[in-house]
Amino acid sequence: MIYVNDLRKEFKKTIKEPGLKGSLKALFKPNNEIITAVDSITFHVPKGEILGFIGPNGAGKSTVIKMLTGILTPTSGTCEINGYIPQKNRQKYVKEIGVVFGQRTQLWWDLALRETYSVLKEIYDVPDAEFKSRMAFLNEVLELDDFISSPVRTLSLGQRMRADIAASLLHNPKVLFLDEPTIGLDVVVKDNIRNAIQKINAEEGTTVILTTHDLADIELLCNRIVMIDKGKKVFDGQISELKREFGQMRDLHFELTHTDDFDKLVYLEDFKVTQDDVEIKNEGASVSVRFNSDKISVEDMLSYTLAKVHVKDINVKDADIEEIIRRLYKREVSIDEV
Amino acid sequence: MGRMFRLHRIFVAQYMKNLMEYKVDFLTGAISFLIGQIVQIATIGIIFSQIPDLEGWGFNEILFIYGFSLIPKGIDHLLFDNLWSVGYFIVRKGDFDKYLTRPINSLFYVIAEKFCVDAFGELFMGIVLIVYSLIQLKLTLTWYMIPLFIVAVVFATLIYTALKIGTSAIAFWTKASGHITHMVYMTNDFSKYPTTIYNKVVRTLITYVIPFAFTAYYPASYFLGKGEPLFCIGGTVIAAVVLMFISVCIWNRGIKAYESAGS
Repeated sequence: MIYVNDLRKEFKKTIKEPGLKGSLKALFKPNNEIITAVDSITFHVPKGEILGFIGPNGAGKSTVIKMLTGILTPTSGTCEINGYIPQKNRQKYVKEIGVVFGQRTQLWWDLALRETYSVLKEIYDVPDAEFKSRMAFLNEVLELDDFISSPVRTLSLGQRMRADIAASLLHNPKVLFLDEPTIGLDVVVKDNIRNAIQKINAEEGTTVILTTHDLADIELLCNRIVMIDKGKKVFDGQISELKREFGQMRDLHFELTHTDDFDKLVYLEDFKVTQDDVEIKNEGASVSVRFNSDKISVEDMLSYTLAKVHVKDINVKDADIEEIIRRLYKREVSIDEV
Repeated sequence: MGRMFRLHRIFVAQYMKNLMEYKVDFLTGAISFLIGQIVQIATIGIIFSQIPDLEGWGFNEILFIYGFSLIPKGIDHLLFDNLWSVGYFIVRKGDFDKYLTRPINSLFYVIAEKFCVDAFGELFMGIVLIVYSLIQLKLTLTWYMIPLFIVAVVFATLIYTALKIGTSAIAFWTKASGHITHMVYMTNDFSKYPTTIYNKVVRTLITYVIPFAFTAYYPASYFLGKGEPLFCIGGTVIAAVVLMFISVCIWNRGIKAYESAGS
């Protein structure tokens, strides 16, 4: 369905010194630097999958999406979707995809929402009967009825996002690209949008590629995630896999009765482990220790701690997906460990 | 082609609805345009009350050339005005993404999206000046001049449009090129007068480099019986075709260089 092979995108960036003087200097003697936004990314998405595409800000997610949707031309490498190369057969290709950029609306700003759909109907050549049933379906899933007659500029962010998603689905695309579809939305609207995506995926078999910073989106929607950082792929697999791999990490939190006691806790030396297996953070009396429960059992950890210091409150938690991803973002784990 | 016309009609209809959304803005625009045109006519009147004859061209002939220049300029303004936005902000802000995710030609989409009703003023002025000057000159046009007039106007319009396409496409590399378009576009002011009044540099510039002379002076001088049809009309056609070819090539290459904007 979607094959991305060794995809790479470089941008030329002019380095400017600050101020007007720097700008003038850059004008006459540009100091160019090549920035690799996407560095040899390869992945494959089968039909009907919901793929979560994640990574910290500036990781290159949007650049990948923009290459997949035919907006940007890759520096090297290939992507093939439904048998099309986006940049080559752009017009035919985009007829089979839907695109939503959460930060940017594709609706006709000053017109009633209804008008946007009737223009899109013409652009995508949707027959009347299909348009009608399609609108009915989208209406049901995304609840557009309340605001379909309002000018787009008067819509709330949540309404606008629903309207945008509906706009991207009008022509029944085979692949849907959603770039941060839940950004800035409240919990209820997020839920509504997630349900809609799930429903569309289930009923139409639409393949969905989704970028997000909301990890709940990922846990609730995605079968699989691809994570990139600094343009490189750092993880590709099922969420369950990620949890299994990193699920042995535990978080121990406690409050010290005497702040000075902190120095008595020397986990690394006493357990003879490295920083990969035990990570300690403290802020005043509050201490948290993340440790690998394969190396140090929860029982040993607790008894050691309680023997060394007096604590007010203590608890142990599983590292959740958010923690795992945070670790990945911070490059605490590298791809070799996965 | 049929689909393009239908889409164009739909875009125009949407644009008009859009315009009506902001009635005050629309009215203010219409009034200010009217004032601008009155000032322009007055200026021409003042100039020509001082100079009755210009290098062998009479007042009414100059008026005809001026009127003629407004027709292609007005049509270009009416239909292809959105190209300005490409160079000024569409590319820089990354808004060009939108045009690339639709199953229609991106150039067509950009162009069709806006329909600049202000241009009716230019067209109206142009027609009035042409008709008035023709009556004053007592020129009788032969029948085949009508199709030739249409050909001249169409290709003269394409010269304007091609220059705008080519220069605004530079933005795909430089992020903004509105000022380049503006600079090139402004040379059209030279085309309203006979090229013979200029020195060689300007004459060469507006004939062969930025061939605005072919949007007014040359074709108009043919209709006034003072020019070779092959050069005056043929030149307009050739200039338009060559420029359009180059501009569309620049545009298509530009799309490949388009870098969007961070989101």
